[in-house]
Amino acid sequence: MAQIHTLHILNKAPEHPRSGECLRSLNPGDALLLIENAVLALATPGELTAGIPVYALSPDVLARGLAQTARKASLVDFPAMVELTAQAQKVISW
Amino acid sequence: MSTLIVIDQPPYGAWAGREALDMAFSLAAFDQPVALLFTGAGVNWLRKSQETMGIEQKSVERNLSAAPVFGVEAIYADATACALYGLVPDSMVAGVAIAESSAEVIRQHSHTAFAG
Amino acid sequence: MTATTVQNYTLVITGAPYSSQAPQTALLFAKAAVAAGHTVDRVFLYGDGVHLASSLSSPPSDESHWADQWGNFLSDNDIPGVACIASALRRGLIDESEQKRYELPASNLREPFIIAGLGEWVEGTMASSRVLYFHAGD
Repeated sequence: MAQIHTLHILNKAPEHPRSGECLRSLNPGDALLLIENAVLALATPGELTAGIPVYALSPDVLARGLAQTARKASLVDFPAMVELTAQAQKVISW
Repeated sequence: MSTLIVIDQPPYGAWAGREALDMAFSLAAFDQPVALLFTGAGVNWLRKSQETMGIEQKSVERNLSAAPVFGVEAIYADATACALYGLVPDSMVAGVAIAESSAEVIRQHSHTAFAG
Repeated sequence: MTATTVQNYTLVITGAPYSSQAPQTALLFAKAAVAAGHTVDRVFLYGDGVHLASSLSSPPSDESHWADQWGNFLSDNDIPGVACIASALRRGLIDESEQKRYELPASNLREPFIIAGLGEWVEGTMASSRVLYFHAGD
């Protein structure tokens, strides 16, 4: 796991205004973690971000039936989510 | 350690913005550096001449006017959101800095919080 | 992967149970954090999140009881659970002393939650190495 400057944790569906705000706030060196409603982004066409690592919380992905479409993100469980928040220098909960 | 409190909910129809303002005032009361960023529909907090008698709520414009007194260091408004809602400096409360990039304001703070 | 620095977390829950996923996500996160050797300094309930501290929450028996699960987790791990007093009183979450103060007909704060001011959250921002927020998703 590379050093993360800011871990952005997003829990809003793609159409929520805060989802767009979050995606526009990503900088090189940051990482994006999709949880809850935000994992629905995996079902939409197109790339989420350019050059930013994208993670998605696997229980949320599986619950929504998206396991087969999750190629846009690396799936993480809760222990790995904890690890991401511990490794990142800064965490923003959108 | 500086905290940015972000208000992106519109006034009156949602309560989270008021609770975000309380967070900012609380940090300031403990002498912790804090700034406010209004973005999205939240920029409507900043419109002058809010008359709230008819909806029986306290004016958020008046609540917000206490921010400098409490020690809130800066109030930023996202330029794109202001343009969307027709807000220009003349139609906004005093003391607001227009931010061309909310992302840049967020990057300048070590801790960012929404109230909901 | 580099060795993880032990972190101490303040977790802020602003999403209500049964209208958002926030309390569930926060609980699963907190359990994983404790299991990994991190510390959870406190859990702070703010805004609609205070509904998690109701002793009167009574979901159907075939659904998860999030208030009980959270209460048990906090007790088992000696983690303070604090509901913001301003958020709580507005929404009818009342402990015995507030019941007496305002001469209310009942109190309903679930143990081990306590009611206290936003200063508890400020303390978290100053003392904890990580402050995470669990908001409603709508």
